[in-house]
Amino acid sequence: MTEEDSIFDPTMKIKKKKKKKTTFDLDAAMAEGGSGGEATEGIGDKENQEPELGAIDDDEGLDLENFGKKKKKKKKAFNLDELDMALPESKKEDGAEPIGEDGPAESNFDLDMEFSGKKKKKRKNILDNLVAEEEKKEAEDRENGFTESERSVETVEDTTSWLGSDRDYTYDELLARVFEIMREKNPDMVAGKKQKFVMRPPQVVRIGTKKTSFANFTEICKTLHRQPKHLLDFLLAELGTSGSVDGNSQLIIKGRFQQKQIENVLRRYIKEYVTCHTCRSPDTILQKDTRLFFLQCESCGSRCSVASIKSGFQAVTGKRAAIRAKTT
Amino acid sequence: MSIQNLNTFDPFADAIKGSDDDVQDGLVHIRIQQRNGRKTLTTVQGLSSEYDLKKIVRACKKEFACNGTVIEHPEYGEVLQLQGDQRENICQWLTKSGLAKPDQLKVHGF
Repeated sequence: MTEEDSIFDPTMKIKKKKKKKTTFDLDAAMAEGGSGGEATEGIGDKENQEPELGAIDDDEGLDLENFGKKKKKKKKAFNLDELDMALPESKKEDGAEPIGEDGPAESNFDLDMEFSGKKKKKRKNILDNLVAEEEKKEAEDRENGFTESERSVETVEDTTSWLGSDRDYTYDELLARVFEIMREKNPDMVAGKKQKFVMRPPQVVRIGTKKTSFANFTEICKTLHRQPKHLLDFLLAELGTSGSVDGNSQLIIKGRFQQKQIENVLRRYIKEYVTCHTCRSPDTILQKDTRLFFLQCESCGSRCSVASIKSGFQAVTGKRAAIRAKTT
Repeated sequence: MSIQNLNTFDPFADAIKGSDDDVQDGLVHIRIQQRNGRKTLTTVQGLSSEYDLKKIVRACKKEFACNGTVIEHPEYGEVLQLQGDQRENICQWLTKSGLAKPDQLKVHGF
């Protein structure tokens, strides 16, 4: 035991801290308690321990002092390769944009020179002019890999903590990393910064005591790009009533409803039948295909089936005598 | 050291696990219907027929202090019907008693 300690001690002292020492001691004690074959155990232990120590070191280094020099070098090299690898992918990803950007890339080159000077400012700008930024970034990737690598070192810092070490990366780390890269390449796409979908509120007026009028029904259908019939079906099924569209294109619903309640139901409709389930963008098309409704997204191209509208069980609320009279 | 991609993955793990717990499957639709005036009805459709709905309705009536009944419907099976707006109550009660999971409950209406 003492031998081992003495072997490990110097490195530890350099690497700092009592905490680590205690963990190591614990392990060592375990090993000691475990069996008599101390020498062999010790060797095995050493082998096990060393990579782990390295890993721990790496983590702490990250937290405390942003890499030792050696690590930084490694990282840079890796990032360069890595970026090169990532580049074609990213291009494929944003296929929506025109990619033949040799022209803009060149024109942006002088901009890049400035850019390397004031990185921070650019960051803030990211939200404003996405397309330009995109082009610039690509140009930058191509022309001066150096600034890019530096930049990515800044950002990737926390997600690639396993790079210098021997330990395995975990799923969470990889996930964080891929999101980091995605966010970097196209800042508008990733969730969190979705665009607002603004709509006119429904105008709901009571007619008499028993009916409610939904005045801008057709207008709302138009803004949602949906058939009035579909929305009508949904509203009536959801509210459990009956109703119809009258002459001046307003919807008359039986029952008393307030604007808030209608708004609630509309919100549910939009969530289910208007916004894309994958990317949540509102420009979608609802198609009917062999009795099933499919939601086709215009921006991300996903296509998924949506639930058909069913009214379900309806309890008898009217006059039973009248119903009986009608059926018999 | 193991490679994460090469770990064995049992594709039927879900299927094996799914059947044994006593929570029912399928959605439970909770709807509200307006009656005359301010009055409303709450209907609960889709509870598994393995449950004794009469007992459930008895417990609900006591809990929510309302009247209620079980209606036999040719298409939808047995449906609970409670007086008044009991949507919140019935949701909480169903999850608390373990008859349905919260994500199986589907509340309709305004």
